[in-house]
Amino acid sequence: MLGESSIQPEWLSEEVKTGTTIIAIGYEGGVVLGSDSRVSAGASVVNRVMNKLSPLHDKIYCALSGSAADAQTIAEIVNYQLDVHSIEVGEDPLVRSAATLVKNISYKYKEELSAHLIVAGWDRRAGGQVYVTLDGLLSMQPFAVGGSGSSYIYGFVDAEYRKGMTKKESQEFVVNALTLAMGRDGSSGGVAYLVTIDQEGAVERCIPGNELPTFFDQ
Amino acid sequence: MSRGANAGFDRHITIFSPEGRLYQVEYAFKAIAQSGLTSVGIRGTDCTVIVTQKKVPDKLLDASTITNMFRLTPRIGCVMTGHYADSRSQVHRARIEAAEWKYKFGYEITADMLCRRMADISQVYTQNAEMRPLGCCMILVAIDPQLGPLLYKCDPAGYFCGFRATAVGAKQTEANSYLEKKLKKRPELTFDRTVEMAISCLSSVLSLDFKSSELEVGVVSKENPKFRTLTAEEIEVHLVAIAERE
Repeated sequence: MLGESSIQPEWLSEEVKTGTTIIAIGYEGGVVLGSDSRVSAGASVVNRVMNKLSPLHDKIYCALSGSAADAQTIAEIVNYQLDVHSIEVGEDPLVRSAATLVKNISYKYKEELSAHLIVAGWDRRAGGQVYVTLDGLLSMQPFAVGGSGSSYIYGFVDAEYRKGMTKKESQEFVVNALTLAMGRDGSSGGVAYLVTIDQEGAVERCIPGNELPTFFDQ
Repeated sequence: MSRGANAGFDRHITIFSPEGRLYQVEYAFKAIAQSGLTSVGIRGTDCTVIVTQKKVPDKLLDASTITNMFRLTPRIGCVMTGHYADSRSQVHRARIEAAEWKYKFGYEITADMLCRRMADISQVYTQNAEMRPLGCCMILVAIDPQLGPLLYKCDPAGYFCGFRATAVGAKQTEANSYLEKKLKKRPELTFDRTVEMAISCLSSVLSLDFKSSELEVGVVSKENPKFRTLTAEEIEVHLVAIAERE
């Protein structure tokens, strides 16, 4: 009745996507970014430990989602542009500059590319900031979620977010959100990666699956 | 072999003279001395130091906006001697070349490769009739993770080389002799000794007692591989140490 299955496995012809959960939140004095680590091609997991938090500069990171190749390429190009820009200006670039560079590429090639990057970091002028660049728009937000897993946690983040959280509370918030999303989204999973950025710099952390918090399923 | 063969253009554009010289390139070297400044670079055991004069010709100028020391990458710095506008153009090009290398190959360019690239670009100007060579000379410094402290220089002729110590500018001949004499016995070159030797070299050939506001000092060291310029207070400490030794 249904069409017969093709001779080749499906995942060979599927685009490699970072079906993902990514999240970034600003707190007093910095930002915390978090991501899962699953890269899928259709129903097959091709990398279960990919770090989707990519540095654009010392204190500016971006979280990748959508097509893996598109997102990585955008991040590398913006990293190159920020290298030149920051050396010419003689100081650390603004988070807004990084986000604008990402947005310009996303907008110009919006028909060809399929990736969404959340840009977050710390700069001297405005402290910790989080920007979304979906489809080529640029918008600063107190926090942002993205990727396929984000749909499952909109309720959670909307209810649980409070202004003026401390660094530790923000890190817990991110880990909880990631865990909940990874628990329900088939395209998100693996380990959780965290990056905390403040005036001192960026600190990366990896939380393996067995150290993530448990919720109803304990 | 007749002098009429080039119709006298060999002095005006970069083509060979009958004797095999490139006059435009030689004039470019004269332009470096024209600026009136001298710069010195010395490679120590664990550091490399570059020093240049800071002359503020006009009382109305804001001295903090004038500099001849430039950062090319976080770990590579340079001092430019010669025509100021040409210097800035070369620095800009070097920064772009370094960033492009990192983007294309995935790792940071080293000082010797960057110097080679800048020298190759300068060489093109000595063959193009429509573009003149740049009237400036670049001394690069960095700490290479494998090779240790590096000191490289590239000039308008497209020639580049690594040095233990070198000088460029109006008083380069005298400064180079001074450096040769001081380094003959291969002395122990700690960070402080290297900085003080570079400053003393300039003081000696220019017969000037410097104030800390009249000098720019750029350093890279194994403890701090990022290129940085010393503040006026730090320079003062070294000037005092030099005075006390005499």
